Amino acid sequence: MANIATYEKGSTQLLMGNEAIARGALEAGIGFATAYPGNPSSEIIGSLAEVAKDAGIYVEWSINEKVALEAAAAAAFAGVRSIVAMKHNGLNVVLDYLMGLALTGTRAGIVLVTCDDPGALSSTEEEDSRMVAKWACLPLLEPGTFQEEKDMTRWAYELSEELKSVVLIRGVTRTSHARGDVEVGERIPPLRQAKFEPSNPLEFTSMPAPFKHLVANQKMDKARDLFESSPFNWYQGPDKPDLLIVTSGSGWFYSLEAVKALDLEKSVGILKLGTTWPLPEKLVRQHLSKAEEVLVVEEIDPFLEGNLKELVGEDPSAVGPVKFYGKRSGHIPIAGEINPDIVTAALARILDIEHRPVQPQYSQKALALTAQFTHGRMVGFCAGCPHRATFWSIKNAIKLDGRGGFVSGDIGCYSMAVGPAGYWQIKTMQAMGSGTGMACGFGRLAEFGLTQSVIAVCGDSTFYHATIPAIISGIYNRANFTLLVLDNSATAMTGFQPHPGTGRSATGEQAPVVDIPTLCRALGVRVEETDPFDLAGTTDKLLDLMREEGGVRVLVVKRECALVRARREKPAYQMRIDEERCLGESCGCSRTCSRVFQCPALMWDAQRGVAAIDDVLCAGCGVCADICPAGAIIRETA
Amino acid sequence: MEKEPLNIIITGVGGQGNVLLSHLVGKVLVRGGFHATIGETYGASQRGGAVMSHLRVSRKMQYGPLIGEGHADVIVGLEPLETLRVIAQYGNPDVAVITNSRPVFPQAVSSGGARYPTRDEVAATLKGLSNRSWVVDATDIALELGPPILANIVMMGTLVGSGLLPLGAEPFEAELRESLPAERLAMNLEAFRRGMAEVA
Amino acid sequence: MSPEIKGSLQLRADVIDRGLCALCGACSGICPFLVAYRGRIVALDDCAVEQGRCYAFCPRVATDLDAASDAAFGAPFDPSPIGRTTEVLITRAAREEVRSKAQYGGTVSALVAFAIERGFIDSAVLTQSDASLLPAGVLVRSAGDVLCRARSNYVAAPTLAAFNREARREEVRRIGVVATPCQALALAKMRAWSTRDRRDWKVSATAYRDVEKLSLVVGLFCTWALDFEGFTRFLAGKTPLDRISKFDIPPPPASVFQAFSDSTSVSIPLDEVRRFIRPSCNVCLDMTAEFADLSVGAAEGIEGWNTLIVRSERGREIIDAARAAGVIETGALPDESLSHLKGASLGKRRRALANIRQITGSDDDLLYLELGAETRGRLLAE
Repeated sequence: MANIATYEKGSTQLLMGNEAIARGALEAGIGFATAYPGNPSSEIIGSLAEVAKDAGIYVEWSINEKVALEAAAAAAFAGVRSIVAMKHNGLNVVLDYLMGLALTGTRAGIVLVTCDDPGALSSTEEEDSRMVAKWACLPLLEPGTFQEEKDMTRWAYELSEELKSVVLIRGVTRTSHARGDVEVGERIPPLRQAKFEPSNPLEFTSMPAPFKHLVANQKMDKARDLFESSPFNWYQGPDKPDLLIVTSGSGWFYSLEAVKALDLEKSVGILKLGTTWPLPEKLVRQHLSKAEEVLVVEEIDPFLEGNLKELVGEDPSAVGPVKFYGKRSGHIPIAGEINPDIVTAALARILDIEHRPVQPQYSQKALALTAQFTHGRMVGFCAGCPHRATFWSIKNAIKLDGRGGFVSGDIGCYSMAVGPAGYWQIKTMQAMGSGTGMACGFGRLAEFGLTQSVIAVCGDSTFYHATIPAIISGIYNRANFTLLVLDNSATAMTGFQPHPGTGRSATGEQAPVVDIPTLCRALGVRVEETDPFDLAGTTDKLLDLMREEGGVRVLVVKRECALVRARREKPAYQMRIDEERCLGESCGCSRTCSRVFQCPALMWDAQRGVAAIDDVLCAGCGVCADICPAGAIIRETA
Repeated sequence: MEKEPLNIIITGVGGQGNVLLSHLVGKVLVRGGFHATIGETYGASQRGGAVMSHLRVSRKMQYGPLIGEGHADVIVGLEPLETLRVIAQYGNPDVAVITNSRPVFPQAVSSGGARYPTRDEVAATLKGLSNRSWVVDATDIALELGPPILANIVMMGTLVGSGLLPLGAEPFEAELRESLPAERLAMNLEAFRRGMAEVA
Repeated sequence: MSPEIKGSLQLRADVIDRGLCALCGACSGICPFLVAYRGRIVALDDCAVEQGRCYAFCPRVATDLDAASDAAFGAPFDPSPIGRTTEVLITRAAREEVRSKAQYGGTVSALVAFAIERGFIDSAVLTQSDASLLPAGVLVRSAGDVLCRARSNYVAAPTLAAFNREARREEVRRIGVVATPCQALALAKMRAWSTRDRRDWKVSATAYRDVEKLSLVVGLFCTWALDFEGFTRFLAGKTPLDRISKFDIPPPPASVFQAFSDSTSVSIPLDEVRRFIRPSCNVCLDMTAEFADLSVGAAEGIEGWNTLIVRSERGREIIDAARAAGVIETGALPDESLSHLKGASLGKRRRALANIRQITGSDDDLLYLELGAETRGRLLAE
């Protein structure tokens, strides 16, 4: 089957935005691609990994985004075009290096794609990456159409080499994960003439910094000029609009459709910008001067809006009076994802137009008929997930320990333990590795009167990404905590990408394994290992570790992700309920399985007063047989 | 094709093959010379949460990945509760809706508190809120032929068979032939045809 | 009026969180929600049942002493100084081998072993401690297994959790329990519960059947019990815990607590040990296990013998048979000793009632005791 490396030039393909970016990079002849998985960016390097052989390129999942950027920059310094992709959290991780890279520059083109998650649909923060461009003095591109995602990425390499600067491309969920038809161009193979030869001793450093900072600013001046004539910026609408919409990225389609929905093509113009830092100032001033009211449509922060106002402020007479609407005025919500309805409503409100998207009688009728049924769906661990068993044991161990223990959490599928899925066990949650980092702090509070047991959790991928330095800090500073490494042999939440514990590389080859328990033992701490499906054993081991006074202790909780296992093997057990034994709502049970343990495959038949197994959802892991107080859940080898 | 763009929402629960289905449909339409845009929600929603795909189909131009409230033309539901949820938000008197009959119980229902609508309640509600509606036992058909996830191909059959798309069966069968390994092809073709037959 | 039975959330609020828990274990071993662990009753999750056995069995929630007495003896509560009594004796195990392993006269070990051997019971729940002095209930099914659990343990033990657990076993049908006063009261409440109107309860039929397996309660005199974590941590600083073979508190005027190991012993001022008395003991009115079939304790001043109180027909049956079989030697308890015993028991009652009044601030609120004024008066009479 054809793939993003083999699509014929000139053919039209339905591509995910991330695939279009990947294809654009291939059309630019990149040779080196790196990333750490993160929604909504994972498919960029993920799809390149799948075609690495066909395309003759190198692709890796780096251990974290910082190393990914460093490795990609190295390739670019040595003359190999490279691409690195990440989600907004990843941008935070690379910031230290990126600042240095911005001053250092590059030889071959290097593009950093950062994908934000407006509305935090799969993130723990809502954050706008674009500020970094202004902060670090880097050019910023925002694709607004699927074709642009490809074409911009390809062009970005020319820009990068022209400026000798890393180029930022910013996507969001609705550009990265959406699919659209794209006409593909010609893919070119990477050059294989890598050579690292600085032309002066400091070429590949950021020093002297003030000078290179000046140079970086001069690069922005050059970019500004180039952007004035960029095909990625365009205007659509009347010559003198009543209202001008200035938009970028996903805002383009929403604005287009909002104008159409209200029949305003003749009075509202749209200036769509694809090069949003530095702004093409002449172009922008030209359009701003033709309108007195401007609505800025963008995702997350009023970045574009602020920069437009700054531009106006620098020379107000150049554009005349302008009133801005957008996130600052509240016409576009300051938080959360935008969508076509929001833009339509904003337009209608500004222009004082009556607008009802849905006929009111229909709305009322729909609400009346459906409200009693549309129960929310709890997002939680899959049936058979080892994390459910782990947090069950953690919950019990903390209660038995009796010292008010708590869990400092981290990023991964297990993050859902902040909620009912994990019995509300996780109490702090910020960034990769911060569960252990915080435990380093909590674990030193005994001298200030803290008597509670401190527990940290991290996943296997998280362990490699950021936890190791925190463990070392905890050991060195004698912090008192127990760390559970939840090893499900996958970077699961982002799509089951491999990592240094899985023995496979991004491109499917065998890879050396960095064994977690061995590494921890080498650090000199007490390490125990357990299978989370052994509930009693895991609880006992955890209690034993919690009771140990002083220092860092590690419990490696190892069992494969249920979804990964299911791809390979049939369920281990066939589960059923012995209805005679089932106590259900009685004293002695109180619906332990469906009400307390809450695996989604465990149901309560309220009519007949017994538990039931949903055969379609059940993964056959067998753990529920051990939590039934009546022995009514029967576990038979499948 | 009359409506420009044609707005289709495919909805279901994570793990039902919703994304695969929307991707298949989109690919066939693009091959057929249409512009197609698909917007979806990934990530955490896969872990048992609701999944929705928005498809925009047009002869003239590319549209954005999100359909506005009340602007769905066709709703295809792999799961009844999700179909109800989507029609309440995106429906209108002209919408056509096809839903699978097999429930995936949310925790609120399976842990004994809330009530799930009956098949008749689902059918009646959808009828009252649409121009045309069908309730199809797609999972039952799937289980006759293979694994339950085959229901999404059955539903593709219903969508094509209903005549709501600007393309007939042939390009869809061709796509199945091209993209599936031999040992799964027969099962999928049969599922597709059974789906078509349900709405004939 | 019968006190209202509630659920485990109320049990936690009314008893456990208020520090009144006696750690008898009657609420544990029944379900996944309440477990006994290292000297505490731990709630692992919230039970949603509105009326539960945990609450029904607990000796520290509103307790109708007449109902409990009716279940144990078929008669209303007897507020005499040492409770309902048909006879008071001194006793000891006939075999020296048994006495040498025991605290005083070896009566309890001998009686329980005899009861199993003769088939009066088929099993017994006793209390055993591990090397860290953590006590737990244990089920024994042979006479031989009784003798190695003969030592007095001053640390509170959730023994009834083992009764709840083991009673579920098909192969045990008549269970004896060696119980402290709070445990004996809980066992009486269990018996009272099993004869209630069953239709009101959401509980399985086996739950009633399991309680009905209770066949003999041998009570132990008890003044107080110690908190496991606090006391063992304290004691570990004085002597290695795993070498201790026996504890003793010699009679007044001595005021020490003795721990014997190998050939040595440590003597600790009793006041230092009293710091670890569980708060629930301070509101306990029962020194002589008034709800047991037979109650056994030291015979003060008579070394090597026990004081034994016969309370029920079942108790009578056992002691008579044991005496006839030559397993137990008996004698008369001197009047002075009986007076002394009654005085000690009344002393505990007075202290308890004073403590209760201090907690509730009211003469009418006796925390967990449902008593009429007359009974209360007689409870304190000499």
